[in-house]
Amino acid sequence: MIPLSLLIMSLLLSCGGGILCLLLKRREGDIRLGGSGVGIAAALAGLGAGLTAIGAGQPAVLDAAGPYPFAHFVLRLDPLAGLMIAVISLLSLVAWIYGFAYVREYAGRGVGAMGFFMNAFIASMMLVVAADNAFWFLIFFEMMSLASYFLVIFDQDDEAVGAGFLYFLVAHGGSVLIMAAFFLMANRAGGFDFAAFRAHPLPAPLDSVAFLLAFVGFGAKAGMIPLHIWLPRAHPAAPSHASALMSGVMIKIGVFGIVKVGIDLLAASAGPAMLGWGLLVLAFGAVSSVLGVVYALAEHDIKKLLAYHSVENIGIILLGIGTGMIGMALHQPVLAVLGLMAGLYHLLNHAVFKGLLFLGAGSVIFRMHSKDMEEMGGLARTMPWTALSFLVGALAISAIPPLNGFVSEWYTYQALFAAALEGTPLVAFAAPIAAVMLALTGALAVMCFVKAYGIMFAGAPRSHHAEEAREAPAAMVAGMAVLAVACVALGLLAPLVAPVMGRIAAATIGAAPVTLAVGATLLPGDAQQATLSTPLIAILLIAMAFLPIGLKAAFAAKRGGDRKVAAPWAAGYLPDHHMPATAGSFAQPIRMFFAPLYTLRRSIAGRWTGIALGFERVVTLARRTEPLADRSVIAPIVGVVDAGGKRLQAIQGGDFRIYCLYIVAALIALLALAV
Amino acid sequence: MLTFSHFILGLFQALLLLAAAPLVSGLSRMVRAKLHTRHGPGPLQDYRDIAKLLTRQDLTPPNSGFAFRAMPAVMLTTVLVIAMGIPMLTRFTPVAPIGDLITVIYLFALARFFFSLSGIDSGSSFSGIGGSRELTMGVLVEPVMLLSLFVAALLAGSTNLGAIGTAIADGHVRSATATVIAALSFAYAIYIELGKLPYDMAEAEQELQEGPLTEYSGPSLALIKWAMALKQTVVVAWFIGVFLPFGSASGMSFFGLLFGLVAFAIKLVLIFAAVGVVENSVARVRFRLTPQHSWVGVGAASLAFVFYLVGL
Repeated sequence: MIPLSLLIMSLLLSCGGGILCLLLKRREGDIRLGGSGVGIAAALAGLGAGLTAIGAGQPAVLDAAGPYPFAHFVLRLDPLAGLMIAVISLLSLVAWIYGFAYVREYAGRGVGAMGFFMNAFIASMMLVVAADNAFWFLIFFEMMSLASYFLVIFDQDDEAVGAGFLYFLVAHGGSVLIMAAFFLMANRAGGFDFAAFRAHPLPAPLDSVAFLLAFVGFGAKAGMIPLHIWLPRAHPAAPSHASALMSGVMIKIGVFGIVKVGIDLLAASAGPAMLGWGLLVLAFGAVSSVLGVVYALAEHDIKKLLAYHSVENIGIILLGIGTGMIGMALHQPVLAVLGLMAGLYHLLNHAVFKGLLFLGAGSVIFRMHSKDMEEMGGLARTMPWTALSFLVGALAISAIPPLNGFVSEWYTYQALFAAALEGTPLVAFAAPIAAVMLALTGALAVMCFVKAYGIMFAGAPRSHHAEEAREAPAAMVAGMAVLAVACVALGLLAPLVAPVMGRIAAATIGAAPVTLAVGATLLPGDAQQATLSTPLIAILLIAMAFLPIGLKAAFAAKRGGDRKVAAPWAAGYLPDHHMPATAGSFAQPIRMFFAPLYTLRRSIAGRWTGIALGFERVVTLARRTEPLADRSVIAPIVGVVDAGGKRLQAIQGGDFRIYCLYIVAALIALLALAV
Repeated sequence: MLTFSHFILGLFQALLLLAAAPLVSGLSRMVRAKLHTRHGPGPLQDYRDIAKLLTRQDLTPPNSGFAFRAMPAVMLTTVLVIAMGIPMLTRFTPVAPIGDLITVIYLFALARFFFSLSGIDSGSSFSGIGGSRELTMGVLVEPVMLLSLFVAALLAGSTNLGAIGTAIADGHVRSATATVIAALSFAYAIYIELGKLPYDMAEAEQELQEGPLTEYSGPSLALIKWAMALKQTVVVAWFIGVFLPFGSASGMSFFGLLFGLVAFAIKLVLIFAAVGVVENSVARVRFRLTPQHSWVGVGAASLAFVFYLVGL
């Protein structure tokens, strides 16, 4: 029961923190200190809850009556929920540390409200993953969407409000679909408890309907293409530590939902249909990953660029999860565990490096007051720690060995490889194509992050602000440092982390624990097996680096001192500061070669604009119908009264002699009546 | 499993390749001169260039930072680590955790990352364009590389490079046609990766590979030149190890290794001679037309994949 009590402690702390932030009202210094302090405590408790839940193996269940007779308030901490809670807590811990300094940017604009919504957001996310009852799941899901909506519109400018509205629409459209899926299952199970859902599997065509509804609903939350359109607008609009939480964690709730419904709730009923679901998830994953990174490349706004990368990484996570579902459908527990484990590992990794990158971007924006990369440049000299953390994040998201992004992508490749080897013809056809998509994604991601790091931190400053930037405050650097260390640790300690992830995956699937990833090898007992050892790669990289460094040092005595010279090789032709690569020019070849994909985006965006226009039409129609009652009932009455009044005005001539005449006439009339 | 002797073998072959790389690039220059009917430099010219550059001053542009300074070392280091994992003298990979096709592709991405980043970091416009183009080539080539190797890996049943090579050498592949087509498309991808005409002219300033080098000088330039020569050699060795493993040792016996070394050297020289002939008989392709060429690679790799699926 340790995990549950820690979780409840964390939730209570979050509630208290939220109320505290509201109570302190305008004392912003106290809000920052109190909010961050309580937030950090809540996050630590949550981290403890998550880790102990992963370690426990057996799910811990809390069944309380709750206020509604039809829906028990059930919390269930299985290893999967534990992983999600650990990820949420890790990111919120860092967000609170970072936010302590960062919210000064928002001084005087409702820091208390921001603290309240952050707490509500974090607590509702934890409750969503822990809830074991469809009714409460939906309540908390809505709470999460609402709290994040208020964070998105925090800036209150046109862009933020517009983005917030789109987000609101998509989030609620999604939750309607999820609701429909849950009602289908509840109808069958006779109750809203997930335990009942598990016990009463849906019959054949209905289960696919339920899965599709849930897949689209959760997919909208996860931001997979083509339901991503809100993501690159909403995430950049939020404050950076909230964006880190949204991109790092909240969209993972969508992935969690897909796993929950597809693998946990519907698994028992899934027969041959499951193969189709797995392939569907795989296809959406492949498309999202490639298109996400292609669109990211064309962005100048650093936060938009990062938001598009979230779309890409959701795609990569879905590749792993789709493979896992295929493995379940084919009754191959090893493949199922391998795929799901790759997806979950990437989920964790993406939370860490995307959080790091958003915080890095936030630090730069904090000093630059601009999101446009074209105005940055050369920040590595003025903000060295931010630059170093951002570089670690950039290398990790580009899947460069030996960092964490590479490890989970490697496992994804291996899962796809195993699926291609052992699957049915259709799977054998689909899996290698997904692998090629992943390779294309990887190459494009490298390009995108060379651009992002290069244009922001390398070269010459592109604006006055960039020249005068200073390092971010210590709390912000500390927040980034925690995540940068996590990136390195999750990469180098892969031999320790991978088996844990494998256990979580096995527990989620309900398979007997498959001995996965013992030490360096993928599967034990096969000499021909592919192996991965990030510690070895790291050691070799460090050891081999002595050779070039030593070589350079050995000849140091023979040459004159090294110099910094302005344009020594310009050959009399001095380039000016407009000429170096820009965010636009660097990605220009890709924009040229992949032009059709950008056209596709415009047409998808057009479609969404159509939906938004439709909404506007509905609003206009409503505006037009609303006065109908006025016009047909009230307006005629008002008109008659008005007209009567106008006529009556005639007797009111303004001449007091006439009024006297009226009085005399009235007197006579009254006398006549009395007589 | 990774034993101490395997590790030493990996280290030995990496250092051997490092020592031989300038000779290989020197031979390429000789072939080039012969085909141009001119007296070129001798095969040892690249050693002399490197030695000379190592004693020159290191000039850095004023706006450059950490990435610019670190790149030469990072690049040479990465390629050396890759060289430890690729099967050259032996059928199996000396350092197994590195000799995995995915790991090798992504380690090359590490080198590419810093190589291109240094282009932006130097602040020079030519370098920036060079970096952008280098990465674009990576985008066009990596999928072809992965698909062709993936097909070979599926045929052999493992993503370990040594296992693929062994399966091909023993003829334990399900489809010979698929193997041959995969080899051809991989060779094509490798050729683009070499940075030779018609896709690149490694010797020319402001071309793709020389682009990020524009601002380098002295020992840094020496290290990069060496690293580029080593990279070209390693890339060809990668092809030999996977698709032409014939003659390499299957055990750790001394004579086996010696024979493997001789066979490897012959294959390497033959391939570089062929590459020399190709590169000197074609003209430069316009950069914006490169995708049309890389689609051929994608097509060939897909064809190999189809043959694998059909099992012909």
